[in-house]
Order: sequence, then structure tokens, then C-alpha cells
Amino acid sequence: MGTSHTAEADLSRAALAARLAAIPGSAAAEEHGDSLWISAPQLDVGAMAREMRALGCRLITMTGLAREDAETTIIYHYCLRRQYVSFKTCTRGGAIASITPTLRMASWIEREIHDFFGVRFIGHPNLVPLLRPPGLKEGFFREAGPPEQD
Amino acid sequence: MPYTIPIGPYHPALEEPYKLSVRCVGETVQQAKIEIGVTCRVIELLVQKREWVPAVTLIERVCGICSNVHAMTFCRAAEQIAGIEVPARARYIRTIIGELERMHSHLLWAGVAAECIGFHTLFMEIYALREQVMDLLETISGNRVNYGMNRIGGVNRDIPDDPEALIAATQAMAEPIERDIVPAFMNNPTATRRMSGIGPLSKEHAIEWGVVGPMARASGLEIDIRADRPYNAYQELGFKIVTQQAGDVQARVVVRALEMLESVRLVTEALRTIPSGPLRAFEGMPRIPPGEGFAVTEGPRGEAFYYVASDGGTTPTRVKIRTPSFVNVPSLEVMIVGQQFSDMPLIQASTDPCVACIDR
Repeated sequence: MGTSHTAEADLSRAALAARLAAIPGSAAAEEHGDSLWISAPQLDVGAMAREMRALGCRLITMTGLAREDAETTIIYHYCLRRQYVSFKTCTRGGAIASITPTLRMASWIEREIHDFFGVRFIGHPNLVPLLRPPGLKEGFFREAGPPEQD
Repeated sequence: MPYTIPIGPYHPALEEPYKLSVRCVGETVQQAKIEIGVTCRVIELLVQKREWVPAVTLIERVCGICSNVHAMTFCRAAEQIAGIEVPARARYIRTIIGELERMHSHLLWAGVAAECIGFHTLFMEIYALREQVMDLLETISGNRVNYGMNRIGGVNRDIPDDPEALIAATQAMAEPIERDIVPAFMNNPTATRRMSGIGPLSKEHAIEWGVVGPMARASGLEIDIRADRPYNAYQELGFKIVTQQAGDVQARVVVRALEMLESVRLVTEALRTIPSGPLRAFEGMPRIPPGEGFAVTEGPRGEAFYYVASDGGTTPTRVKIRTPSFVNVPSLEVMIVGQQFSDMPLIQASTDPCVACIDR
């Protein structure tokens, strides 16, 4: 095998979980489908992005899910070679901090979630439409899709 | 005095639409801005209105080139939620189709690259070879595009009764790839002058922009889901990652050419060792319990990611699709800085961009 995206020397799962739990607003990681999942509604996503960058994790993507309370669940999916980590948090007042200033690859992902769910990513350098077809309002997934059940 | 040239949405080297605004000084490119979304079909939303079986059919239409990867990855995510164990024979068949799909995708791209550099003879040779791969896919699935092989829990069709004929046809492709295609891209002076040093993406930039697949491996990153998180039959068949260090257009071509040889080996080995047994874990309609899960698969262009959520009903409640082109294409913005404007078609093509995948 050899090098990866990281300086990681196959950080043990327990050591990784401890690092992730120490992120402000984070919570204990749960094993789910051979990946680590962290559900943390009050997660400091800026601190999370900085820590994941320091760990050498690659941001795979982010998933938006409409909630019945008009907020949006955001899942951040990361990969550290063979280990996968998903942070689940949610917007507050329809907004959440952008991680694009820390992780450049998040730019298009955040713009897409803005298109589909109307989430405002605070601090995004260029939050303009990416994929939204003409004639549709931002957040059109929210009106057309089934809401997530808590 | 800098000036800006709009390119697209229709391109000289590409079939699919996206816009590029290129700022140049003289013939040298300073900056490029990419705009996508011209062909957004909102498949993620549409699939949430489909029951689980027709959802697979719709997902397979995300892309015409790597259709199998999409259907398979979606099925794997649903199987993870439901705890379905796919039978060994089905895992091997998924591997065979996946590797044949990789070969035809890489050959298609190699043909585009040959055409971009004016190497028409090579283009003709490559496309003749690609037809042989398409014939194999048609022999197995009945289709040249959208093979319809995947279902939640396994596969829809078995491979034909005479695997020896398939093995012979697959192995016959190794020689022209080794004898003609790999040396043409690695050693031919015409190809080397047109591709070496063009459109560079350093290892550091590859990490920063999060590129995946052959793009990442051509910049020296040893990442490949088949090795890092083996699925289907890759654990049993073994797998060797192909990398290059130069990070330029030539390195991207060479990685894809060498990967075709590994695909020939994988298909041959899978056909030789495929176990007997059922094609699917169950008959009838799938029942996906409440839950969420994701699957990653190494497609021809790199990592395909599917997140799927279910409330136990007849349709998925959320399907998130992250295609490899969605993360590879933005890195064009760094690759083109300082390059000649006339190389723009080749550099863009070297990312093997799939706009259908990006826009979904």
C-alpha cells in the first residue's frame, strides 16, 4: 500500500474516536455499519473541520436532510484511508458555519445544499447557485421531499 | 492586458455541457471559473418518489458510462441498512461487470485523449478495442449501456454458460493494450510532447482539492476503494493499485492504461474462480427497514458515494449521490494556471469529466 491522503499511520479506531470526541460540541462515537458515527447537534463545525484536516481526513461529501422543524440535518462524511467517520449535526435558524475556508473541497458541496435545502453557510466565500434549475427557489427539496422523522 | 474567454456550455473536446470562463494574458491562462448545472435532472429528489425496485432503474440512469457503478453502490447502501448478505456468485458477477465497465470507460477516455492530441490512428485502434469490451458486456447483460444487472440483494442475470469463451475474449484484449496503447502513451514522441508536463496537479493540490480515482493516483496518491475497503470479490481476487508521480496529463493517461491491464486480470480471475450458488439473497420485493447507511465503490473515475435513508416504507426517504467527477472537475481551477490556452481542451478532458454525473 503506502502513503495516503494523510500522515496517518493507521490511527487506531479507539484513538481516533477519542480525538473526535474531544472536538467542541462533539459526542461519543458509535460504531454503525463498520463506520464511526457521531451525533452532535451542538457541534462546532469549524473546530471539526480544523481537527479533521489536522488528522489528514478527506471530506467525502455532506448530506442534507430536511427536518420537520424547518431546520436541516447536515451529515459530514469523512474518510481516513480505511476508516470512515460521519458527524451528524443540524442548522440553527437555517444557518451553520461554512467549512469551506478550512476545507476547499467543501465549496461546491455547501453550494449544492444551499440550492436544495436553503441552508445559509456562514462564511462561505461564494454562496451562489450551483445546480438549481432556473425557476426553482432555493430549498426546493424541502417542499418536495418527505421530511425526516425524529 | 488580461482578457476573458467564455468556453461552453458546448465544448470542442467534450459531449456534455458546462461553462468555463478563462482569463488569459496572451496565450497563458491565469484563472478559470467553472459553472455547472446545465443538465441538472434532480435525480436525488426523483428517486425518493420511486419504490425500491424502480429506484435502482432510475439510479442506473445517472450516467451512461458508469451506470453499473451507480446502481451497484445504491444497492450496496440499501443492503447495508437491511443487513442483506449478497451471495458469493453475485459478488463475483458484480466484480466482472464493474471491471468491464472500467475498461470501456478508460478506453473511451483514452480515445478522446488520442483525438485531442491529433493521434487519429491511435484513436481508431482504441475505439476498435472498446467495441470488444462492449460486445462482452452485451453478451453478458444483453445491453451496451445500462446493463440492468444489479438488484438489491444480488444480481438479475447469471453469466453465460461458457465462461471459457469470455475468458478468451477478455485475455485477447491484454495484448493490444500492452503492445500498442501503453507504449503509445508512455513512449511515443508525439504523445509525450503533447502531454508531458501539461495540466499538472501536485500531490499537495490533489489532497487539498480532494480528488479521487485515476486523477489522485496520477498525482501519487495511493487511494483506491478496491484496496482500501474491499467489496464484491476484491478481497478474494487481490488487487494492485496503479500510481504515477508526475501528476500531468500523461500520468493520468498512463494510470488509466495500466489499470486496464489490472481489469483484464481481475475479470479473467473472477471468471475462472466464480463460485456456484444463488444469484440473489431473496426473491420478490426488497424490504428495507428504518435506518441509514452509505456505500463507497471505486468507479472508473474514482470513488462513488451513496448515502441512503429508509423509514421502512416502500421508497427511500433520502438518497445522496456524490460522484467522482463532482470532486475531480473543480481541481481544473488549479491545473490550468500558467498553461497555454490551446491546451485547455486536453487538460479538461484529462479529468475525464462526466457532467451527467456532476449535475445528476
